[in-house]
Amino acid sequence: MAVARSWLRRGLESQIARPLLLIVALFVLWELVIRVFRIPPYLIPAPLAVAKMLVAEWPRLWQNGLFTAYATLGGFALSIIIGIPIAMVIAYSRLVESYVYPLLVFSQSVPKIAIAPLFVVWFGFGIFPKVISAFMLGFFPVVVATVMGFKSIEPDMIDLARSMRASRWQMFVKFSLPQALPSIFSGLKISATLAVVGAVVGEFVGSNSGIGYVLQIANGNFDLPLMFAGLFVLSMMGVILFALVDLAEKLMIPWHQSRRPDAMGATA
Amino acid sequence: MKLLLKTVAIAGMALLLGAGTAQAQSKDKVVLLLNWYLYSEHAPFFLGKERGYYDQEGIDLDIQEGRGSGVSVQAVAANTATFGYVDIATMIKAAAKGAPVKAIGVALQLSPMSVMGFADKNIRTPKDIVGKTVAVTPGDSMSQIWPLFLKKTGLNESEFKTVSGDAQTKLNAVMNGQADLLLGYVMDQAIKLQDATHRAVHPIRFADYGVNLISSGIIANTATLKDKPDMVRRFLRATTKAMEESEKNPEAAVDAMLKANPKAGVRETLIIGLKQTTALYHTKETAKQRPLRVSMANVAESLDLLAQYGGLDPATKGKAEDWVTLDYLP
Repeated sequence: MAVARSWLRRGLESQIARPLLLIVALFVLWELVIRVFRIPPYLIPAPLAVAKMLVAEWPRLWQNGLFTAYATLGGFALSIIIGIPIAMVIAYSRLVESYVYPLLVFSQSVPKIAIAPLFVVWFGFGIFPKVISAFMLGFFPVVVATVMGFKSIEPDMIDLARSMRASRWQMFVKFSLPQALPSIFSGLKISATLAVVGAVVGEFVGSNSGIGYVLQIANGNFDLPLMFAGLFVLSMMGVILFALVDLAEKLMIPWHQSRRPDAMGATA
Repeated sequence: MKLLLKTVAIAGMALLLGAGTAQAQSKDKVVLLLNWYLYSEHAPFFLGKERGYYDQEGIDLDIQEGRGSGVSVQAVAANTATFGYVDIATMIKAAAKGAPVKAIGVALQLSPMSVMGFADKNIRTPKDIVGKTVAVTPGDSMSQIWPLFLKKTGLNESEFKTVSGDAQTKLNAVMNGQADLLLGYVMDQAIKLQDATHRAVHPIRFADYGVNLISSGIIANTATLKDKPDMVRRFLRATTKAMEESEKNPEAAVDAMLKANPKAGVRETLIIGLKQTTALYHTKETAKQRPLRVSMANVAESLDLLAQYGGLDPATKGKAEDWVTLDYLP
């Protein structure tokens, strides 16, 4: 009995079980609210109806989800490939920073949904405009976080490195980069979830496939269960991408404070 | 006492000065939510407002632009708006899912749906569509009826290319040559294309090939119909009159709309659009009737089409009378 209880307790307290429990609780609350307040299905669908739709329409959602996933990954990859080098140049050169940074902030304040239709005009109906759209949303957090990461290195550390006659390359690899990585990763995590949004924005304005396309059709038919099922697939995509970045972080900076087991224990 | 006397005197004067003031207090505040941003089709409501038709019926009308029929239907179902001017086919689909709304008059009894392209591309008949590229918006009413048009005209979906996008993308695609044609309303997209490019547009109407679906109309919440039948009647009386006047005098209607909102469009093309709109107000059967009085046979046919092609579950199809009522019309 005691063994079973401790097993149960361990199960309940594990890292994966906790969010799942919360999700289950939220689902129950959702169903309850709908029943108690008698919210009609044309305004908000019941979670059970969404779950059924998710199962029934899985092949279609999977196929279209893949399309959205490619666009998301493409945009995310571009965010890294373009965002990090730009951020490094900004962090190391005040001149570049004064020229480029305000412009980046300016570009970020442009609502993407307003210019997304133009992407279709410029780049056509293929996957490229969706990748660009995902990139537009995803790259800014990467730049900001990376700049912050590289700038946060302490002057004492630089002095130390200099006194040890470290070359520029050594300074970068041994001091700057390790200092910057935690910050870069937190930027990447934000970017990962935003890239999903960007890809769908791209699909809304012009696409023959993808979750954005499914959402449009569901909307036209008042098929709210299908719409929510589509949203669920999108959210899962964001979660998985986030988890992958998290895993990469774990592998690359196991020494960081947030990764130490005692720190985890203390905050858990 | 003095104060009371003063109040009585003022009230008396107000009464003497005219019933207008008293009426203003008892006027029903009514929000009409449109299907979309302003275009020619909406001008009659502004004419009715400017000429005081609604005022005379004791209605204080507030006209709000919409973001698509679907959202407008939901707003009327949730009582956020009193009336909606929306695509009735879209409303039926929502009502079949339980939304407490009903159509109380159908303005466009002939379908404005068409597939259109620039006239200089010489796409005049359905056969000319072969080998071309057509831009559609997935999930909208036109894209759902499109397969029926293809069937009736002997076309096959594999004989042309399809690109999908939202409303703006459709226009952009045709203007930039990424598509040759788009699915649109004769008095909406055709005008927008002409205004933007100054090139003539040729629409191939669905209705000319036996595909007719009732289109825009006025809807209300069923609770409103039950609780305020008199207000609904007065609103429809004013609206019917405004539509009749717009048939006779489209210029005045467009001017009224432009006065209320100068950004509504270009005067000349709006007038053309309104003329094209009022041309859809009557079918052969309702030619002698006042606007909004749709024939129930027309509604029933549209229901059949919706159940077969338009994404309406045949199990919840119902009868014409379930979705449309003419009881409140003058």
